[in-house]
Amino acid sequence: MPDLDQLIAQAQAFVRSLFGGGGGRSGGPRPARPGGRRGLTLLGLAVVALWLASGFYRVEPDQEGVVLRFGAFTRTTLPGLNYHLPWPIERVELPAVTRVNLIEIGYRNGPGSGSDAGGAAGTRDVPQESLMLTGDENIIDLDVAVLWRVSNATSYLFNVRNPDAVVKAVAESSIREVIGRTPIQPAMTERRAQIAADVQKQTQQILDNYGAGIEITQVQIQKADPPDAVIESFRDVQRANTDAERLRNEADAYANNVVPRARGDASRIIAEAEGAKQATIASAQGQTKRFLSVLAAYDQAKDITLTRIYIETLQDVLGHARVTVLDDKLKGVLPLLPLGNSALPPPPTAKPPAQGTATGVTQ
Amino acid sequence: MNPFASRLGVVALAAAIVAAVLVDSTLFTVEQTEQALITQFGRPVRLITQPGLHAKIPFVQTVIPFDKRLLALELPGEEVLLGDQRRLIVDCFTLYRITDPLKYYQAVGALQNAVQGRMNSIVSSALRRVLGNNKLLDVLSADRERIMSTIRTQVNGEMASFGVAIEDVRIRRADLPPENTQAVLQRMQSERQRVAAEARAEGAAAATRIRADADRERTVLLANARAQADQLRGEGEATAIHSYADAYGKDPQFYSVWRTLEAYRDSLTSNQTQLVLTPGDAILQYLQAPPAPPGPSAGQPAVTGQK
Repeated sequence: MPDLDQLIAQAQAFVRSLFGGGGGRSGGPRPARPGGRRGLTLLGLAVVALWLASGFYRVEPDQEGVVLRFGAFTRTTLPGLNYHLPWPIERVELPAVTRVNLIEIGYRNGPGSGSDAGGAAGTRDVPQESLMLTGDENIIDLDVAVLWRVSNATSYLFNVRNPDAVVKAVAESSIREVIGRTPIQPAMTERRAQIAADVQKQTQQILDNYGAGIEITQVQIQKADPPDAVIESFRDVQRANTDAERLRNEADAYANNVVPRARGDASRIIAEAEGAKQATIASAQGQTKRFLSVLAAYDQAKDITLTRIYIETLQDVLGHARVTVLDDKLKGVLPLLPLGNSALPPPPTAKPPAQGTATGVTQ
Repeated sequence: MNPFASRLGVVALAAAIVAAVLVDSTLFTVEQTEQALITQFGRPVRLITQPGLHAKIPFVQTVIPFDKRLLALELPGEEVLLGDQRRLIVDCFTLYRITDPLKYYQAVGALQNAVQGRMNSIVSSALRRVLGNNKLLDVLSADRERIMSTIRTQVNGEMASFGVAIEDVRIRRADLPPENTQAVLQRMQSERQRVAAEARAEGAAAATRIRADADRERTVLLANARAQADQLRGEGEATAIHSYADAYGKDPQFYSVWRTLEAYRDSLTSNQTQLVLTPGDAILQYLQAPPAPPGPSAGQPAVTGQK
């Protein structure tokens, strides 16, 4: 900056001395007066002024100015209006330091790529980048986005030629190295975040070793799938797990149905037995009480009660059964009696003609 | 303008042009990213590593700039035979720096990229040599770092005479050749199929086990319940037997008569029952003879019961 102030002061002093205190309008040179020498001087002054003015430059908010004097780095400048000595003494480089750049590995986004390959609209797969070997010698299809920005403008400009390509190469190398020691299953699932962090760390470390002046701000794993050729069988494993889960659930449902029912049945059986027990006891008590009552009555008039019970019982029996009264003196008739077979309905009327008194009672 | 002035102007102009040419061939800049070798009639005389404005002897000396930055060289993928006879397509990139422009100039000349052809073959042969001693799993594993640094050391040794320092050799891609890729994919597929079949079979086994457990539990529950039920019934019967014994024991003879008669009433009062009686039987005794005044003698009736 002292250079700049000094130079401007010198230029102003020079102009003042020429015009004797008059203001020098650097813009449009006036038409030459009759004294052609003066006009020539003015023209020369205007050219010099323009040349000096060409040193003004603007640094955008996302940029940093790097000023080189005769090719050698002298200073960096901040966003705003700045001045450097005009060409060929000084020149300025304006790298975008806050802008975040994107590197796509394994896919390309954006228009123009068309629909020549599968994938979402506008995304094109790049299999030679995305397919890689995992630690268990399987192949995984990995799409990664690497975001980076310039962290040190001078290192970025002066230390590595073509740093953008180097970032991509290093990132790819790191990804394959990290995936190369990870088995496929975790790589697709729970280790994704870990892989992204490892890749970021390793890429950053390598770039720092190169002094590339680049910061990897983020590594995003966009896709971690099995290759298209085998993705169906991977999905089938998920289906199989679902199937197994369903079978288990069905069996659980069966168990949840059967066991409580069996408990209910068991309770019912026990309750029935309990009931039967009570019934047996009650029945026994009833019968014994009845007997005791009868016995008590019987004890008061034994003979007559016994006879009465006997006769009443036989009356009841004889009243219901088919009774044949046979005089035991008539032995010959016995074989003719239809004793037997209750299966054959006995003829209600055909009673063997007993010679004595025979009474057939049929009901 | 007078002729003198115009002649003066021409001379001044000529002087200015001569001066400009002189200045141009004397002064030169070395960029921040460069280093420069000054040669005098082709013979190297001076090396400038400091960027900025420099001067040389005009017309006699020439400036040859060399890049000072880290330079990348991509080696296209090539098939490499590994120590375990597996094949791998490896492409790598090399980062190098021109450390000694003089040697570099002497070895390959002034061209920036002249060294790359030589370096390609050196990196390639180092790659084959080192990878040929390692297994695929080593290349995939954490050993990759060691392998890469071994390659770097070897390449560095061979490139030293070119005035070039190898900063890094990195394996970028290491893929199987297409036919092996196909084999790996098939293996992955069959392995997934195995896992799927296993999962289904395990699910079925678990389901069967759960069902069998449920059935067993049901059987046990019911059997226990029946056992308890039988015990309860037995208890009931025991209580009943005790009551009967207590009660009937008071007059067993009467019980016998009373209970027998009760049994007759229960079992012989259906119309299927056939009785054959003789007139002398107790109940029929009065069919033959009128009752006599003295007390009756109870006789047993001859009973033939058939259901």
